[in-house]
Amino acid sequence: MTIDAGYLLQLTLNGLALGLLYALIAVGLSLIFGVMEIINFAHGELLMLGAFAMTFALPVVGLLYWPALAAAILVAMLAGLLIYEILLARLRPDEFERSILITLGLSIVLIHTVQYFFTATPRMVDTQYGFSGIAIGSIRLTWTRVIGAAAAVVAFAGLYLTLRFTQFGRAMRAIAQNREAALMVGIRPRVVARNAMILATGLCGLAGAALAPIQLVTPYMGQFLIFKAFALVIIGGLGNIPGAVAAAVALGFVESWIGGFFSAAWQEGAVFVLMIAVLMLRPDGLFKRGGMRVG
Amino acid sequence: MKLAAALVAALVLAALPFITSSNYIIGVGISALVFTVAAAALNLVYGFAGLLSFAQLGFWGIGGYAAALTVVTFGGSFWQGVLWAALLNGAIALLVGYPMLRTNRHAFVISTLTFALLVTLVARDWVSLTRGPLGIPNLPPPHALGRRFDTPAKFYWLVWVFAVTTVAFLYALCSSRIGRTLVAIKQNEPLVRAQGIAPMPYKLTAFALSAAITGAAGGVYCFHLRIIDPTFLDFYYMQTFLIIVIIGGSGSFWGVIAAGIALSALPEVLRFSEDLRMIIYGVILVVAMFVMPAGVAGWLRERKLAAVREALR
Repeated sequence: MTIDAGYLLQLTLNGLALGLLYALIAVGLSLIFGVMEIINFAHGELLMLGAFAMTFALPVVGLLYWPALAAAILVAMLAGLLIYEILLARLRPDEFERSILITLGLSIVLIHTVQYFFTATPRMVDTQYGFSGIAIGSIRLTWTRVIGAAAAVVAFAGLYLTLRFTQFGRAMRAIAQNREAALMVGIRPRVVARNAMILATGLCGLAGAALAPIQLVTPYMGQFLIFKAFALVIIGGLGNIPGAVAAAVALGFVESWIGGFFSAAWQEGAVFVLMIAVLMLRPDGLFKRGGMRVG
Repeated sequence: MKLAAALVAALVLAALPFITSSNYIIGVGISALVFTVAAAALNLVYGFAGLLSFAQLGFWGIGGYAAALTVVTFGGSFWQGVLWAALLNGAIALLVGYPMLRTNRHAFVISTLTFALLVTLVARDWVSLTRGPLGIPNLPPPHALGRRFDTPAKFYWLVWVFAVTTVAFLYALCSSRIGRTLVAIKQNEPLVRAQGIAPMPYKLTAFALSAAITGAAGGVYCFHLRIIDPTFLDFYYMQTFLIIVIIGGSGSFWGVIAAGIALSALPEVLRFSEDLRMIIYGVILVVAMFVMPAGVAGWLRERKLAAVREALR
């Protein structure tokens, strides 16, 4: 088999775009875990809400991409705030299993409520960019993919600056690193947890909105992505944000390369094989816990 | 006392085909018995050993496919199919359970979940073995001693024997020293280590046994459905097992068995709408976690303790 350099580069770029979107989801999960020690099962459904918000917002604003994207992010953030205030704020620390089961119930309710009102029929999303894109030689990338990846990079830069330089972000890192010490210097865990939840769901809404023009929008779209995001968070080390990003981008490459040369079944299985291999070698993931230390 | 009640309940359940001739009700009875077995197996890992395992769904599916393929593709009998389902699952559980159990409890939950998803993908994509989304229809009814278990009533008795045997086995296991050690590991692992007991073999044994039993239950259930396809790995089954364990009270052996029998009627009552049914299931899960985190059994235990305290005052 001869490997065409152009084809390989195309696969790599596709993988990068895919990996950055995975990273948006995994980072949110990692952030919530770092601050609250909760694994949010309904995270994929927040992504689905973002994508659905995009499908409804786009026709309203005349297929303009950016305002619709902003609307989708706001919808996801609002959902995150409500979920935190109604359900998660009432959990005591160290109720890990209970948090999983509550968010699992929430995820079931969200999926089937959306399906009940909007049916399971897949929706196509059209934007002002349509299917046009940029072409460099034999390599072609659609604008929606390029913008999705760029938006993800901008979001990560924003997240980094927030966590590194704002009081809001420092408080989050403090809680993740040492809960007791953070309490002692007067950081309110409830407020910090709420902020983390809103920030994480905003990233998730962005991922959903960016994915909407790339793939079909269905009530179940979050489910398959969330499984991957879970595995990524484990590979990267639970609660470790840079670890989650690195694992996500790496998975994007691996999936894209495998998908280019082997059957789709291998592509989907790659994440699990990677996870088991990593767990065998390093039970705590590739990067250590407590790695909220972004700088 | 509890044992006597369980015995009476089992005998009443055995008489179900005499009480009704409705194939629909007998079908619900079959589901109830199989789900109860699967929930009791989940209770062994989650309720007793404290390991929230979503891999049960994968084992359920592997068991179903192993049993169906043994009969259809490899020409074995139903009994061999169920046996293979159990053995194969036990072996897989030992293989994947070891790396998974070495991690902390957070990573364990997620990795078991990913395992369940992988099984779904394999069932869908390994078309040459599993026949992909089309599935394997027309599974033949089992037969033994020259009899064919081809009517719902006959199949019900077969399932009854299976359920009573596995529940009895699980009861013996859970009330033995192994069961007590598992509870001790769940409550205080460092203390167990300090007593000179290595937790890993216990956890791995519980995980593998529960996988084998779940697999056998899946194998039996697909012969009730008469078809197996990737929807056999629908997350709905995992939710059903979990809700039974949680409502019954995880860690309470008879609580989970009672909840299994009682709750299996629920999805049938709610069958008027597929979507609404799932919404109601989700709401029940969330509400139960807030109102009765320890399930009905835990709630009753608390009432009893409160009564004792009141009497002693």
